[in-house]
Order: sequence, then C-alpha cells, then structure tokens
Amino acid sequence: MTEVRLNRLTKIYAGGKPAVDAISLDIPTGQFVSLLGPSGCGKTTTLKMLAGFEDVTSGDITFDGQDVVRVPAEDRDIGMVFQNYALFPHMTVHQNLAFGLEMRKIARPEIQRRVQATLEMVQLDHLADRYPAQLSGGQQQRVAIGRALTIEPRILLLDEPLANLDAKLREEMRVFIRDLQKRVGITTIYVTHDQAEAMTMSDIVVVMFDGHIAQAGAPRDIYETPKTAKVAGFVGQVNLIEAHVDPDHPGHAATPFGPVPVTAPGVGETVTLALRPEAIDIAPAGAPGTPATIERVQYSGAIVDYTLRFADGTAMEVKTIPRHPFAIGDAVSLSVDLARFRQLEREY
Amino acid sequence: MGRNILNIYCLAVYAFLLAPIFVVVGASFNAGEFLTFPPQGLSLRWYFTFFENEVFLRAIGTSLWIAAVATVFSVVIGTMAAIYYVNFAGRYKEAVRVAALSPLLLPEILTAIALLFFLYDIGIGTKTMFGLLVGHVLMTLPFVFMNVSASLESYDTDWSMAARSLGARPWTRFRRIMLPLIKPGMIGGALFSFVISFDIFTISLLLKSIGTATLPIQLFDYLKTNYTPEAAAVSTLSIVATITVVVIVEKVIGLKMHKF
Repeated sequence: MTEVRLNRLTKIYAGGKPAVDAISLDIPTGQFVSLLGPSGCGKTTTLKMLAGFEDVTSGDITFDGQDVVRVPAEDRDIGMVFQNYALFPHMTVHQNLAFGLEMRKIARPEIQRRVQATLEMVQLDHLADRYPAQLSGGQQQRVAIGRALTIEPRILLLDEPLANLDAKLREEMRVFIRDLQKRVGITTIYVTHDQAEAMTMSDIVVVMFDGHIAQAGAPRDIYETPKTAKVAGFVGQVNLIEAHVDPDHPGHAATPFGPVPVTAPGVGETVTLALRPEAIDIAPAGAPGTPATIERVQYSGAIVDYTLRFADGTAMEVKTIPRHPFAIGDAVSLSVDLARFRQLEREY
Repeated sequence: MGRNILNIYCLAVYAFLLAPIFVVVGASFNAGEFLTFPPQGLSLRWYFTFFENEVFLRAIGTSLWIAAVATVFSVVIGTMAAIYYVNFAGRYKEAVRVAALSPLLLPEILTAIALLFFLYDIGIGTKTMFGLLVGHVLMTLPFVFMNVSASLESYDTDWSMAARSLGARPWTRFRRIMLPLIKPGMIGGALFSFVISFDIFTISLLLKSIGTATLPIQLFDYLKTNYTPEAAAVSTLSIVATITVVVIVEKVIGLKMHKF
C-alpha cells in the first residue's frame, strides 16, 4: 500500500494566478481522502497532477517517499475513475477490465482469473459480455471502478464519480465505494463538491478554496471545529455570530445566550463565533433560555428548520426533530450548551 | 389535400433526379446501332461489345487503380489532418478547416490549372501518373477530413486518458482506442473518396499523361466520335458499381453506428 505526500505542490497555468498554490498534504496508507471544494478551487487540478495528466509547476508528489512528478501517467500505476466513467465503448465489460492487464503483458490465464475476480468484486459477472452502452449508470460506474482496480494500482483516484447518478443510486454507490475501498485497503483520493459525500465516505476531508487547503481533518473535526467561516459554511449550515468582547467578563464574548469564553483580544473588539443549528434547543416561551420569535418554518418530516429572530434583531437558524408544532409568529425560548460555540479564525 | 400536393412534389423531384439514370440504363439495352431512348428492341449486345473493348477495359482498370491508391493516401493524410484539426489546432482550428476543405470550395478547373503549372514548374510534369494521383488525392481529401472530423468530435478525450492511466503508451492508445472508434468515419471517408475519384473529370483531363485515360475521359473521348449504346452500357456498369458502394456504406457504417 502507498503513502502519498504532497509538498508545496503548485500549478500555474500560463498567465493566470495559481490554480493550486503550494499545497502540502500527507495521506497515510489506506486512507480515504476527499478533496472538497467549490468548482475552481483546484481540487480537480490536484487530482490530475497526482494522476500525471497535468504537469506540476513546482513542488513534489511522492508515493512511499519516491518522487513521481517526472513519472509519466502510463507508468505511475494509478487507478483512475472519471466523472463520465470513460469506458471504452467498443469493448465489452470483460475487455474493458482486461485492458490494463494486457498493457502489463500479463499472461492470458492470469488476466482471465483477475478479470473474473474483479467482476465478482463489483458484482457484474452476469454482464461481462455487454457493451457499456447496454448498461445502466450505476453498472457503468461499477465497471469503471473495477477497471481502475484490476491493475492493482498504488492509489485510486476518483473524480466526482457520482455526479451523474440520481440521488438514490448515489447513496447506494457511496456505501458500495466505501465498502470496497475498505476491503481492498487502497489509498484513495476522491474529488467532490458534495459535502455530504465527503463527510460520509472519508477518513480525511480536505477543504479547498482558491487553490489553498483551508482545512484538513476527520469529518467530525471539520464539522465541529471549523477554522474559518467559509469552511464552516461549506460543510453544513451554520449560525455566524459577530460578538463583542464582554466588558463585564474579560475573556468572554457577549452573545444572546450569555458570555462565551474566547481566546480573546481586548475588551471592545469583535470575534466571530460559529454555532451549528442543531446545537440549539427550542422550547415553548417561558422555559429557561433566550426569548425569540419564529419567522419561518421548513418541515421535512424527520427534521424541521426554523428561522428565528431575537429582540435585538439577530437572526438564528435552528434545526431540530419536530417535537413541538411551532408556527410562524410563535414566541419561543432558545437555549444552548455554551461549549458548542466555536471561535473562528479571521479571514483576510 | 396538402399531403397529396407534398407527395406529388416529392415524386416530381425524384423523377427529375432519376430520369437521366433510367434513360441511360434503358438505352444500354438497345439492340440498334445508335444511342436512342426508348431503345429499339432489347439486347445485351453492347455489353458484350464493351467487354471486348480493350480501351474501355483499360480505362476502367486505370480508374479503379487511381481511385484505390488515391483513397489510401487520402485516408491516411485526411485522418492525420482531422486529428490535428480536432485535438491540436487550437486557435488555428478554423483556418485548418478551411484549408482542408479548399479543394471543395474552389472550382475544380482552377485547382487543375494550378496543379498543372506547379507540376511543370518543379519539373515533374505529367509524364507519369504522379500528377494525376496528386490531383485525385487533393480532390478526395476533404471527404475523408469531414467524415473523420465528425467521428473525432464525438471522441471523448477521457478515453485516451483512461487508457493512459491503465498503462497504454501513445501508439497503443491510438491503435487500441482511437482508431477503432473513428474507424466508421474513416471507412465512410474512404468510400466517398473512392466514388468521387472514380468520377473526377476536369483534373484527370488536365493532369493525365499521354496515353492514359480514366473512365470518364475515355467516355468523353468515345462520345466525341461515336454515338452507340456502348457508352450507355459503360455508364450503367458505373452506376451499378456506385450503388454497390453506397449499399456497402449503409451496411457497414449503419450497423457500426448502432452499436454505440
């Protein structure tokens, strides 16, 4: 298995600002890593440099300590799954899976054996003689993953592989890919702009903006301890509270819920705090807490989203299981465990 | 009512297009001495005459040979040009396209005269078949170029990338992936090329060497002094050959396209 290391990896296209700007990242062996970010953040360019399809402007990529920047894509031993699958339309499923092994000059019987094993692994043995055009989207996806894995590559790269599938199939494939990756144990780098995909599938989520890594960490850390407002907002809904440092409680910021401890600048300065909507408890008026008024209700069965407003005019999003049938205009009481507040870094 | 008018209109157009063919085919079965329609009695005598006429047989042989050789060159050059045009021409794309199609856009006689002057200027002249062949390649190139470009426009470059990630080197990627996928365009272009070459007149007239004649030239020569149904028999055989090629196009390309 392979440990991947990026060291100040940079890509600058002629006459532009860097698409990828000196990013460094260590990916331990066997980990599932997602590069998450909006389009144009450099995640796909990073993947293409890993695959060898894009030249590196500066910086290093190493697999197990071995520099691969000057190794051409065809010798890099990577398995690549494309967004549109890129299955060879003139070859059957079997021929698609055998292609990479033929390139490696492996003997016929061995190819036969490994293709068969892959077909079983991706549950397609009954479709071996079909052409890609005769398969459903989900089946094509499994062929693409199988084709990338038959060559037993050092790393597996996936470029938004679920983007073209419908919602239900997408959830199935998430589980399928994750299970397969765990079983094979291959170091995997997965590019997506879908935070739910990144969160549910990954060991490590790498959030990228404008060619930089904004934050890298376990899904839980990214969600619960975001460093910046941009990261907090990209991986989920968030209430951002600009708070002044409380003159009565040094080292605390004044919020509608009370003073929150901050690693504080001086009195009178502001800090930005993040609070996830589901961290807030909502109760009928009169219960202990901060009074607020319901402005909007979005009921979606298992959960309900409220938009509320405090007396001072601050708006707040709350997400909860629908315990009380609150309606627009109702007065309610909000409470929160103050430990759920996160102080964010300033972005310049 | 409106539909009837449309039907009649369509029939009229088809009659206009196909009537000359019927006349030629009909006239070829003439039993009489002169090229007339309707034929005076039915007979295959002019076909027998044709098959004994070495001049025509040689002309057909020449035409087939030139069409075959020109097609091979056209397919190779036209395919390379199309690959460059679609994948590498960048901002010169439009210029490359116009250049490749220019033999179609210019009057054939201009191309023929220009080539004639050029061939004499560089000392090659028209003593050999070389000039004639160059002319035929030039005139058939656009058809290969157009057909292969169309195939390439629907070629997904991710296929090449996927092959690359699986370990395929450039030549293997071309042979195993791109070539099979643009083959329908190449075959279509080749068949067009063959039929067009078989039909070229002006270029052949100016660039042929003394003593060689393609079928259209030989027919023209023949009709200047003779007026027998033999010319119609030759034409009919050409038509049959052309239809055969069209049917092959339909069978081969039509089926191929279905698979994807």
